[in-house]
Amino acid sequence: MPYSSIFKEHLAHPRNAGELAEANAVADETNPICGDRLRLSLLVMDDRIEAVRYLAYGCPPTLVCGSVLTELISGKTTEEAKQLTRADLLDAIGGLPSRKHHAASLAIETLHSALQNL
Amino acid sequence: MPSRRVYLDNSATTPVDPRVAAAMARAVVENFGNASSVHGFGQQARAVVDQARREIAALVGAKQNEIVFTSGGTEANNLAIRGLSEAATSHGRHIVTSSIEHPSVAGVCADMEKRGWEVIRLPVYQNGIVRVEDVAAAVRPETVLITIMMANNEIGTIQPVAEIGALVRERRAAGQRHLWFHTDAVQAAGRLRLNVDEIGCDLLTMSAHKLYAPKGIGALYVRRGVRLHGQNVGGHQERERRAGTENVPGIVAFGEAAKLAREEFEQRSVHDRELRDRFEAAVTRRIPDIVMNGDRERRLGHLSNISFRFIEGEGLLINLDLEGVAVSTGSACSSGTLEPSPVIRALGVNDETARGSIRFSFGKDNTEDEVEYVVNVLVGAVERLRALSPLTPLAGVVSR
Repeated sequence: MPYSSIFKEHLAHPRNAGELAEANAVADETNPICGDRLRLSLLVMDDRIEAVRYLAYGCPPTLVCGSVLTELISGKTTEEAKQLTRADLLDAIGGLPSRKHHAASLAIETLHSALQNL
Repeated sequence: MPSRRVYLDNSATTPVDPRVAAAMARAVVENFGNASSVHGFGQQARAVVDQARREIAALVGAKQNEIVFTSGGTEANNLAIRGLSEAATSHGRHIVTSSIEHPSVAGVCADMEKRGWEVIRLPVYQNGIVRVEDVAAAVRPETVLITIMMANNEIGTIQPVAEIGALVRERRAAGQRHLWFHTDAVQAAGRLRLNVDEIGCDLLTMSAHKLYAPKGIGALYVRRGVRLHGQNVGGHQERERRAGTENVPGIVAFGEAAKLAREEFEQRSVHDRELRDRFEAAVTRRIPDIVMNGDRERRLGHLSNISFRFIEGEGLLINLDLEGVAVSTGSACSSGTLEPSPVIRALGVNDETARGSIRFSFGKDNTEDEVEYVVNVLVGAVERLRALSPLTPLAGVVSR
């Protein structure tokens, strides 16, 4: 399947790229098989994600999943963020070929790790 | 669709030259006869096939009857390696090849291995070139075939084929009569001046679509006297080497493309090299942390393979594609398994460098203006991806 227009838009213009200096929840996860890497830094205040930044290395789906994830969780409560699933992320991207679903898994795992590290 | 499109993937395939397309179109309409038919229609088709065969033979300094048409480079490589090995079984089952061959050679060698042949894959060094002394050390009395490419498809490095050809002659003179040499010249034909006698090869593969002709047609040079076990059987075409009605329009197109490649050799070579050098100079000036892959001198003039540190090739490729620029990468990530380019890995570089490699290949239709556009797009895309990468030193720390 071809990449969606949402996918291409995020790849060309990644949202919330970088590292947050004041972050109080950070996670850095690597897919041990392919080496793709995602780093999330969150600023959580009163149980709400006030700011988020991400860095990513790897194939385009990994870069895009990070970008879309930051938009999905920005302003959410930590409880709402914890409920987010791989399927939600895939829907928000406009779908991915099944062989690329691992990119969405890495993004959700990194989010859960960050929230645990809070 | 981006407003501008620039094709820098001429090693993957080339745009069809309108002169080639016109010759092919004429053949479709005017030479529809079966070239094996005895009547006038058939003989007319035979005449244009023979004319094309002469042009292709001339491109590599061969004789007309030493050219066997195939459906492309992959089939020619299959016919060369399988055909020769199967015909030479009684003399030995040992093949010497390199670790940077195109999949159409590497795959056939792997298959021969499964069927009981022993295959030695020689290393290349940091420069991406096989050493002749390694070839000499690998050849045994039971070696029947050396298959080493003329020029690599990803990094363009030119292999010491004439020295390998000389080694084969030496071994034959010393009594090893059943040793043959095949070279895959798909990337080199039309881009290097080739002469099968100077190279000393027995088999040489070519493909038309790398020469501004359409897909679906290729050729294998088979030195007179070399026996091949036919892979396509059930017809007498191509001197029993490749059964099947000749693809007359494809052959005519290939012939026209070979003729143009010879006539325009000098201007195409100079043009491609100038664009490539201009591109590399600009990239080196404007983008830090890059690695040029492969030997700087002994390589094809139209090709540049560069690793951009801290980022991954596929992301860069798609970013460039969004701006209309077509390039390629040898690395692929699928099903969560990363497959960095085996060719770049064979240079001994680390995973990150191998993953960040991109091939830019220039052709006769590219312009200086296009190079400038691509460099500008590339600078922006690399900066964007590096700002995003956790591997980039001090990547984008921001305050809210």
